[in-house]
Amino acid sequence: MICPRCAHDTVDTVTTSPVPGVWDVLQCVRCLYMWRTTEPDRRTRREAYPVEFRMTQADIDAAPEVPVVPPLRVG
Amino acid sequence: MPYDDLRSFLDTLDKHGQLLRITEQVLPEPDLAAAANAAGRIGEGAPALYFDNVKGFTDARIAMNVHGSWRNHALALGLPPETSVREQVEEFARRWDAFPVAPERREDAPWRENTQQGADIDLFEVLPLFRLNDGDGGFYLDKAAVVSRDPRDPDHFGKQNVGTYRIEVIGRDRLAFQPVPMHDVAQHLHAAEELGEDLPIAITLGNDPVITIVAGMPMGYDQSEYEMAGALRGAPAPIATAPLTGFDVPWGSEVVIEGVVESRKRQIEGPFGEFTGHYSGGRRMPTIRIDRVSYRTDPVFESLYLGMPWTEVDYLVGPNTCVPLLKQLRAEFPEVQAVNAMYTHGLAVIVSTKKRYGGFAKAVGMRAMTTPHGLGYVTQVIVVDEDVDPFDLPQVMWAMSAKVNPQDDVIIVPNLSVMALAPAANTPGITSKMIIDATTPVAPDNRGHFDTPVRDLPETPEWTDRLRALLAAR
Ligand SMILES: [Zn+2]
Repeated sequence: MICPRCAHDTVDTVTTSPVPGVWDVLQCVRCLYMWRTTEPDRRTRREAYPVEFRMTQADIDAAPEVPVVPPLRVG
Repeated sequence: MPYDDLRSFLDTLDKHGQLLRITEQVLPEPDLAAAANAAGRIGEGAPALYFDNVKGFTDARIAMNVHGSWRNHALALGLPPETSVREQVEEFARRWDAFPVAPERREDAPWRENTQQGADIDLFEVLPLFRLNDGDGGFYLDKAAVVSRDPRDPDHFGKQNVGTYRIEVIGRDRLAFQPVPMHDVAQHLHAAEELGEDLPIAITLGNDPVITIVAGMPMGYDQSEYEMAGALRGAPAPIATAPLTGFDVPWGSEVVIEGVVESRKRQIEGPFGEFTGHYSGGRRMPTIRIDRVSYRTDPVFESLYLGMPWTEVDYLVGPNTCVPLLKQLRAEFPEVQAVNAMYTHGLAVIVSTKKRYGGFAKAVGMRAMTTPHGLGYVTQVIVVDEDVDPFDLPQVMWAMSAKVNPQDDVIIVPNLSVMALAPAANTPGITSKMIIDATTPVAPDNRGHFDTPVRDLPETPEWTDRLRALLAAR
């Protein structure tokens, strides 16, 4: 299992369906993308994931801070 | 008459045929969001949607589109469902004058029934979370009333803020959220982060319909949303003390989440399909650590679909954006008759006004841009005469087509502020703004040929009644 959005290979199981075995909610540890395994392929499979929403490590590193962390006020 | 919680309002919607219960089993995705999206596409009078048979869940109760039609919005204000938009806005403005109405503190909040704390916290156990739009980075809480206080003045009731912000669930006990710099919570966070302190926060979900309306309303920094809710309800808003933060939260909430915004920390968030009809994302945003969750037994999860307008959010923040702008403009310019700021939370607004003298309408347009809300919105103002109804778009288009001489009546001011989500800005947060003066020039602005307007015949009102009576009698 790789992340559909950033292709990272470490994915956590966040929760599982209250009815056993129906779905899991997974999350990429790198880009934090979260998805349910029963969602359509366009949200769950790397090859079907839309190009415009894909993310890379460089995108994450370059992401601006909103809002910017202000300088610490001393004294 | 006023509703103290979401459940009693859902009952009223049900009685008026404005709550549609979907009893067939649906998938959490894409069905829940697609159904709420569709509610905005089936025309006037769309109902709220209620789901309790969602695949994989044993215990899900989900309400969507609760404010998602003019009928539902009217019922939220305790008005007859057929009340017109303009009448709803006018009634809203009338009730505003009762502000402030002190809230009523109650001790027996139903969300005290159940608690999660510390290592036991798991939001997925409390809420049937789901995705809205394809490109969303995860599951969102997008209809919460978020309570925070000014760390420099924590005991000031008015500076305690109640607002709605986008909140992404990034873990069982973790959230990311977006404080837009123009919004009050961003000032609270800024002050806390300057001191290197976490900012305590309470996130309340599933509220009575008026709390949700005031949480999305652009109010003054030191004005209390609870005191405004009291004015709009015509009765004090019931509040209770949140157990961990001690903040004042709605008495009737389905769920109260308490924790802190972690000081000086940012994490990748989004994207999220926004009220602008565009995604925004790829930014590092503040994170929240959840320390306590209180919730009613069998909580109802209220969510809102938003995307290409119109969707529920446009009904929710339509009148509540018009009225503050109307009041702020009228405070200095009593000539202002009405304000329609229902397009994308007031990115475009239409103002009707009498003219004090030549050039006056353009001054009204500039003032709209410099109101507190205007600083982040109001990129386009159309100013029309006092006899043009700004809610009647064909009339507005007539005024634009007949009254505007573009050379003299379209004014563009460069490099003004706008909230960063405005998609047309080149640099996020900076935009040009435009005034279109579609009023009739008055002296000494003697331009054009407007001295012989055709007016409705004096006998027309009588004939209007006659035609209506004849049609009704057929
Ligand atoms: Zn990823």
